[in-house]
Amino acid sequence: MDRRGFLKFAAGGTVGLVASPIIWNTLYDAVYWTQNWGWIPRLKKGESQYVPTVSKLCPSGTGFLVRTVSGVPVRTIGDKNNPVTHGAMTALAAAEAELRVSPARLKTPLRRSPDGAYIAISWAEAEKLLKEKTQQAGASVAAVSGDPTSSINEVLSSILNQQGSSDFYFMPDEEQPAAVAWEAMGGQGRLGYDMEGSDCILAVGAPVLESWGVVAANRSLFNRTHPVGGEAGQKLIYAGAVQNNTAAGADLWLPMKSGTDMALLLGMAHLVIKAGKNGFAAGLGNFASFAAAYTPEKVSAITGVPQERLEAAAKALVEAKKPLVIAGSALGSGGSAGSVMAAIALNMLLGSVNREGGLLDLPYPVSVVAHATDYRDTMRKRFVDYTQNVAAGKTKAPALFFVYAANPVYSLPADSGVKETIKKSGYSVAVASFMSETCEECDLVLPAALGMEAFDDVQTPYGSGRVTYALARPVAKPFADARSAGELFIALAQELKLELGVKDMPELLYKHAYALGAPFRAMMDEGAVHTARVTLPASPLFYNWEAIRAAASARGEEGDLQVAPVVVLAMGTPQTAIPPFATKVVTDYQLKGRYSVAQMNGATAAKLKVNAGDLVKLVAGNNVQITVVAAIFEGILPDTVSLVAGLGHTAFDEFSKGKGSNVLALTSVRREPGTGLPVWGLAGVKAARA
Amino acid sequence: MEERNNTTTPATAAKKCSCGWGAFVVGLVVALILGWWVLPNLMKETKKQPIAFSHVEHVQNQGMTCEQCHFVRADGSFSGTPTTAQCAECHFTVLGSNPEEARFVREYVQTGREIKSEWLVYQKQPDNVFFSHALHFGPLAELKGPKETAEFCSRCHLNVAETDVPPVYRENRLSGYSENTMLMWGCERCHAEHMAMGNTNASNACFTCHK
Repeated sequence: MDRRGFLKFAAGGTVGLVASPIIWNTLYDAVYWTQNWGWIPRLKKGESQYVPTVSKLCPSGTGFLVRTVSGVPVRTIGDKNNPVTHGAMTALAAAEAELRVSPARLKTPLRRSPDGAYIAISWAEAEKLLKEKTQQAGASVAAVSGDPTSSINEVLSSILNQQGSSDFYFMPDEEQPAAVAWEAMGGQGRLGYDMEGSDCILAVGAPVLESWGVVAANRSLFNRTHPVGGEAGQKLIYAGAVQNNTAAGADLWLPMKSGTDMALLLGMAHLVIKAGKNGFAAGLGNFASFAAAYTPEKVSAITGVPQERLEAAAKALVEAKKPLVIAGSALGSGGSAGSVMAAIALNMLLGSVNREGGLLDLPYPVSVVAHATDYRDTMRKRFVDYTQNVAAGKTKAPALFFVYAANPVYSLPADSGVKETIKKSGYSVAVASFMSETCEECDLVLPAALGMEAFDDVQTPYGSGRVTYALARPVAKPFADARSAGELFIALAQELKLELGVKDMPELLYKHAYALGAPFRAMMDEGAVHTARVTLPASPLFYNWEAIRAAASARGEEGDLQVAPVVVLAMGTPQTAIPPFATKVVTDYQLKGRYSVAQMNGATAAKLKVNAGDLVKLVAGNNVQITVVAAIFEGILPDTVSLVAGLGHTAFDEFSKGKGSNVLALTSVRREPGTGLPVWGLAGVKAARA
Repeated sequence: MEERNNTTTPATAAKKCSCGWGAFVVGLVVALILGWWVLPNLMKETKKQPIAFSHVEHVQNQGMTCEQCHFVRADGSFSGTPTTAQCAECHFTVLGSNPEEARFVREYVQTGREIKSEWLVYQKQPDNVFFSHALHFGPLAELKGPKETAEFCSRCHLNVAETDVPPVYRENRLSGYSENTMLMWGCERCHAEHMAMGNTNASNACFTCHK
């Protein structure tokens, strides 16, 4: 065959191949072959199960169903049969199945080496180390827990008590100032809120539909009382500086400047007294005289709320059959007791205490572990006082410092002394599920199982109007080498020959259920949730007007602008950071590129001579400076900037690290006049175009 | 300088042309044989199912219905092929004289080995295809008996209802999928042509199947 013949043979072959299916089929096969590449995740197929349990990452202990496929959790969904949440759940709880395998998840125990790097060690080594350090520390041991609803606290506090230390603390939260306030007003038990029974709720500074209290239950209640296209069965009035989701959902929004909660509440007290609502208790006369100074004109000038809206809110409260007033802080920690006291006084005037739809005196959770510190006693202790004293050298640093389920390095102001306390302590141990800023400061980091991987519980979260008890059950095996924190502490106590009175977590949970009269077997087998309307005998409340007056004398934060933080659970908590699953709901109004977004209204922007998208420097009173992107939103008061909390992490993973700024960096610890409570809920800043 | 003669006589041109066309035809035939038969067969590897399961025995002789083994779970997912545990609900011991059944009981039921993970699925789709059996089962409730059900299912699947041994499984060496795996054009018979099987009203948007 000559050259020309070969070419014709090749041409014939080409035509033949094109006319056959081999090329096209091979192309198809190649497409399918690309699905075999090793880095493409594989679905695990199999039978789906829906297991009712409860979230331990969500601060309000949202109940949910965990969908498992062949035993692997793939999704969490609301549980309509849950008597607390009625099918609602928070954005954080919705992300929990994905958080289980988050890149920031701790996989194995880590020990810090002399050069500062972490070395992966076995659990046997970690436990040996833990035992040695605890024995060496003796009574010089301290611990902080970021999960006040868990029985694991009892085990940890029992270990400390038996070692001779009383330094067991809860992380500062919304309940601590409320407990101070309730006690100051004569409350004997635990402050509860019967939101379900109320027909008109005034929430001052407490974003009840975002982060305050039992959020999922609050949202579920809002859905039920505000049917689409129907008439609202309950009135929700919200006072806050930002038109957040709570304000947007509220029937009436009182746009109140940050830090003027006390004035607003006292102004409301004045108006309801004028309308004839003056529930009697000791101190009424003095309180009424004090509140009389808070005329609508004055309150309007202080708070920025138009007078007619104040009057409309007061009218709604007076006309309601079962009004309820709630006070809280936007940040969820570092709030003042004064505003809660004023809210309690307002409820007393309205007759909304110890009755359906009002404030309730709930029993505190009981301890069932031997030598454990009672919940109430732990709640009374102030962690920031302790860490500031250690930092200042007034209190001896502990030889061993436990941080359990908490991230105080991130979630407390820089002058709280936490970093110094960890540095000064002889040995620091973090028991956590994710590699947080606090873990990065500790000498030993132990990976804790999540709620869906171990036995744990949720005792009545703050904000509830009922006693509730729910169990977290192991739906799946712990991720990597994570381990139940409860079992870890119980094992440590057993190694140290300490007496707990329980041998494992199921026994501890059983004892709790028994103490509450809860159906333990149904809770264990079917995920049943115990709820009970238990109220204590009515407390002898009184108008502690002197404490209210002292708290009202607190000076405001200096600065041209007030910072109004917004907490949304889609941004996670300090312990979880931003769930990778939730990054799609982080908007351009919260984070733009690597900058936090500072929302302000047009008037503020004009005053600062900035446009939307401009970089702005915010300088706080503590000289901390952050750069943010300006965004214009008219749902914010003048001279106020709104920043979302939960950004600015320096640890965790690519989804959180280096994204925006931590709003807590702008705050400083102050002492509330009268109560002496450490507070940091407010910040004033000076702003200039960057 | 020698002058090259580029002229061609009609006789030599006809001779060259005849030889060239022959080569073209040979090339064409060889390529067609390769393209239609040799290469497709070389690309495929024949595999056997772990057990020579007989649908005839179960459906016709024992009177079982399709749904006893292949059913939609409460959450809408499809059970697919049964697990060893499901088979063992009847075959906890050897029931008949078929040596394959005895082997199944010995090698799977008694050892706990999972047959489902070994069974070769003729229509297995990659994970980037989201297929819901529940959504495609609209007319199933109206069908009467295994025969009608088998006809309905065989619009996409091999009709195995009347087989005594499993059909031959031929796996593509490149893709790793069965030659029976439905390609996208197969889906588009309905998704692109809404009137293909009555009015299916199926969306042909990408995200309908690719999540």
